[in-house]
Amino acid sequence: MSLIPQIIKSLKNLPPFPTVAQRALTLLNNPEVAIQELVEIVKFDPAITANILRISNSAYFGLRREIHSLNQALLLLGTQELLKIIIASGATRLLGRPTPGYYVESQGLWRHSVSCAIMADLLGRELQVGEGAMGFTAGLLHDIGKVLLCLYVDEKFADIIQVVKNKGVSFQDAEREVLGVDHSTMGGEMARIWDFPDRLRLVITHHHLDKPEARGDDLVMLVYLADLLVLMFGRDLGADGLAYAGYPEVLRHFHLRERDLERILLHFAEAWQEAQSLFGLAGSKDGLQRAHC
Amino acid sequence: MGVADLKVSNRGNQVLVTHALGSCVGLAIYDPQARVGGLLHYMLPDSHLDPAKAQVNPYMFADTGIPLLFRECYQLGAVKSRLRVKVAGGSQVLGGHEHFQIGRRNYAALRKLFLKNNVLIDGEDVGGVTARTLFLEMATGRVWVRVLGQETIEL
Repeated sequence: MSLIPQIIKSLKNLPPFPTVAQRALTLLNNPEVAIQELVEIVKFDPAITANILRISNSAYFGLRREIHSLNQALLLLGTQELLKIIIASGATRLLGRPTPGYYVESQGLWRHSVSCAIMADLLGRELQVGEGAMGFTAGLLHDIGKVLLCLYVDEKFADIIQVVKNKGVSFQDAEREVLGVDHSTMGGEMARIWDFPDRLRLVITHHHLDKPEARGDDLVMLVYLADLLVLMFGRDLGADGLAYAGYPEVLRHFHLRERDLERILLHFAEAWQEAQSLFGLAGSKDGLQRAHC
Repeated sequence: MGVADLKVSNRGNQVLVTHALGSCVGLAIYDPQARVGGLLHYMLPDSHLDPAKAQVNPYMFADTGIPLLFRECYQLGAVKSRLRVKVAGGSQVLGGHEHFQIGRRNYAALRKLFLKNNVLIDGEDVGGVTARTLFLEMATGRVWVRVLGQETIEL
């Protein structure tokens, strides 16, 4: 029996995307965001304000002195770094949920999302793609479709993994074969309902590069490569493992060689260590993580 | 254990674990007579990529990490001829045989080193697209691999 009617129904009951993060997303394409605009967004959200302070002090954001006040954080970090923190804080409410079917660990999706955000951020700076907070955000949100699809994947996991094993196809192809829809298509639909910026929706929909026409877009390619590298790095892997297709086009697109990938992984290992407070966002006891959106 | 990490032990109440190996390789060695063993989680095949980083963290690379694992076990009383050697990890994304080969190169680096030093592998679960968690039980030397979302097997 097809699950598609049920899956479509789950889209109709989609809760709103966390408001603060939603408002921050609209500023992504604007390189001249004023600090004051960001203050307006976060000032009524004490949990996010607390998170800004906490994360500002992580080595990942590289400030050399300790931050004690919100104003100090705002001034020292700059708007693009703040956007990343605001969006990450808001997104925990969505991505910090358990996603059985994909991850045994309750924070699995959050950890994978943060890993991919850090990798996209790092790669973006190196390759000069994804200006400002864009690479980070696209990396963070690429797998939102898993939030809704996980229950169906969990139900049909044995069938899906059998297709992966027997046919040697990607986990995403197997999702489509068994469920009728895959997590990237699902994510794209969620992004449409939530009115995400077009570029972001494009990345979410095509982050596994299954449609050749998506292979020309820098940001799609960036997040695709970031995702692949994060899977290779391991650590925050799920039950889907590394069962995704590696297209060498991405290496040609960015003029990268195999050896460059090794170098990038080496850098990433450091950034990953430094970013532990970002990982901790969803597991913290501030009451933030359990707030449903 | 972390990524690019090494632990050795001679304490029977311990289980050494390294979580969710992707292209990285986990190597477990154990001397059943001395009850000494260790686990290495390395990420990349060759320290020539960045000798400075290899100085700071030699466990990052196969060629610098693997000799250290053996040496630290010898220091706790392990003897080479008695060692049981088990390997897991080295997965790859789907695709051809020319690209994204870090997993295979990680495993190849280990084989090369073992060949040169006459070390044989007693059990392995390597390659493919799965994510693996590797356990070494110090009391018995038994080694398990949990394939995430799937079965747990003993090596």
